[in-house]
Amino acid sequence: MPEFNTASLILALTEKLREHQSWAGETHVQKAIYILNRVLRVPIPFKFILYKHGPFSFDLRDEIGWMRSIRLLEWEVRSNSYGSSLRTGQLSPILKRQFPEMPQKHSGEIEFVAKRFAGKNVAGLERLTTAIYVTLDETTPPHERADYFHALKPHVSIPEAEAAVLEADALIQVVNDRSARAMVA
Amino acid sequence: MSNRTHEFRDPIHSFIKLDSEERKLVDSRPFQRLRYIHQLALSYLVYPGATHRRFEHSLGVMDVSSRIYDVVTDPENIHHDSVRKLVPRRDSDYEWSYWRRVLRMAALCHDMGHLPFSHAAEATLLPEGTRHEHLSKAIILSGEMKPIFDGLKIRPEDVTKLAVGPKYYEAKLSDWEAILYEMIGGNVFGADRIDYLLRDSYHSGVAYGRFDHNRLIETMRILPREDQESEEPALGITLGGLQAAESLLWARYFIYRQLYFHSVRRIYDIHLTEFLQEWLKDGRFSILLEDHLRMTDNEVMAAICEASTAPTAKAHEAACRITGRQHFRVLYESNLNDEKINLANVDLVFQAATKEFGRESVRRDFYSSEPASEDFPVRLRDGKIASSLALSETFRVGQGLRFQVTFVFISPESKQRADKWLDENRAKILGEAK
Repeated sequence: MPEFNTASLILALTEKLREHQSWAGETHVQKAIYILNRVLRVPIPFKFILYKHGPFSFDLRDEIGWMRSIRLLEWEVRSNSYGSSLRTGQLSPILKRQFPEMPQKHSGEIEFVAKRFAGKNVAGLERLTTAIYVTLDETTPPHERADYFHALKPHVSIPEAEAAVLEADALIQVVNDRSARAMVA
Repeated sequence: MSNRTHEFRDPIHSFIKLDSEERKLVDSRPFQRLRYIHQLALSYLVYPGATHRRFEHSLGVMDVSSRIYDVVTDPENIHHDSVRKLVPRRDSDYEWSYWRRVLRMAALCHDMGHLPFSHAAEATLLPEGTRHEHLSKAIILSGEMKPIFDGLKIRPEDVTKLAVGPKYYEAKLSDWEAILYEMIGGNVFGADRIDYLLRDSYHSGVAYGRFDHNRLIETMRILPREDQESEEPALGITLGGLQAAESLLWARYFIYRQLYFHSVRRIYDIHLTEFLQEWLKDGRFSILLEDHLRMTDNEVMAAICEASTAPTAKAHEAACRITGRQHFRVLYESNLNDEKINLANVDLVFQAATKEFGRESVRRDFYSSEPASEDFPVRLRDGKIASSLALSETFRVGQGLRFQVTFVFISPESKQRADKWLDENRAKILGEAK
């Protein structure tokens, strides 16, 4: 059975993404959770593999599905052509009231990810998170990682892949600096 | 054997055809074993007609997936350069025939790893983290299957990718391979889903499971997800298939509510699992291939019948629950009103009932399937691509459909007393909120 504490974290992230004007589709939530877990080390029990629009978790897809099923999240259609957004559902206040621990404990990380990536569209998130995936997998120079990235996702050009790899390096550096500062404080 | 066409008569797809090399896979021991694995476990104890097996379902998935392949790779149905670069050319490309054959064989193999009675006991009776897909993968890559794939001139690794998908293959799939996997196991309208809905509906008599699959298949296309500002390809449809896709959503919902979520079917799965936990060595299925291939529903059902007639036999009580129809009854089913009071409602009722009636008299069950995944690309008349959700009122309404059930069951011996007890204590139990 899915776990309410993790659901509470996903809910909080979705709300925060929307607060920062993210489209908050399922892909946005998937990629934000990936960054939260793999870069900011927030413990989330989902395995990610390279699949739809970059790193993708079937477990997280199922979790979001379950959350929709019991009305913790729901779809919102906001445009005539684009995909849908996730928003809080009818039972979300109950979840927040009963299971506040995870969102409270990781509020800083949630805010960091939501604020920094809310403005990115699916293609931008796909490029950045695939670059993170490649970077966490390989310790080679940026141009080699960009070649590898392009081989995995041929619809992303090599210059786009290289820019994304550099962005991933910068992000990881910022997070490492942030962690170091937090440890000193 | 000369290379000729062989036909299977099938109640869903009329005739399913394959050639002599493909027939060797059907004749293999792992595939023939599927003749003895019920598609719907013990559901035939509730729906007497639901006695069909994984064997015919797998043939059906092969038939549907090849039809999808032929439609979406037809040059007339490819509208975007990014897709044209991805898809092998049908008229001249060896790759086109290669991948068609891999797809068909992967469809045949996708369920080879199923345990006796399919999904019924999978989560509990395999080692932690192991699923039937891991066994399917091991069978496809085994020495026993290698000569068959050599004869077919296809790589077992490619068959594995498409049979079990990226989650269980545990290595990266290319965009093309990912699309091919979607044709079989896709969570919107893969061949597996199309066939099991139609077949389970036909055999169980739950008529709501039908939909216009022929129209749906004819309108399928590989489309870039321009609606999500990405060039990544996905399986979608043209506008003309929208109503067929909508009817699939409702068919799936109804068949889940009527058949897969049926409370008696669910409790039989629990009794079956309990029997197997006692009967199997170490309480689990072996994942050695030889052991797996020897074990079917027949061996298990023979053991259940034997145990039910011998009071001192292992698992006698669980066996009697099945053969004597002494299954547990529903005490409580989760519902929106109670969830509004407390999301842990089922835990609370289960714990209180266990305290009152003893652990041996109470069971709990949770079963969930992904709710309607109706966000897929649709090609409009003007060539633009839009999200299905933006186009369909039906999908928007359908997003609230509940694809899960949670039950607390009570022994038939305690049922009457337990109903009265719950009626008197319900508010108090649910009021014990955090």
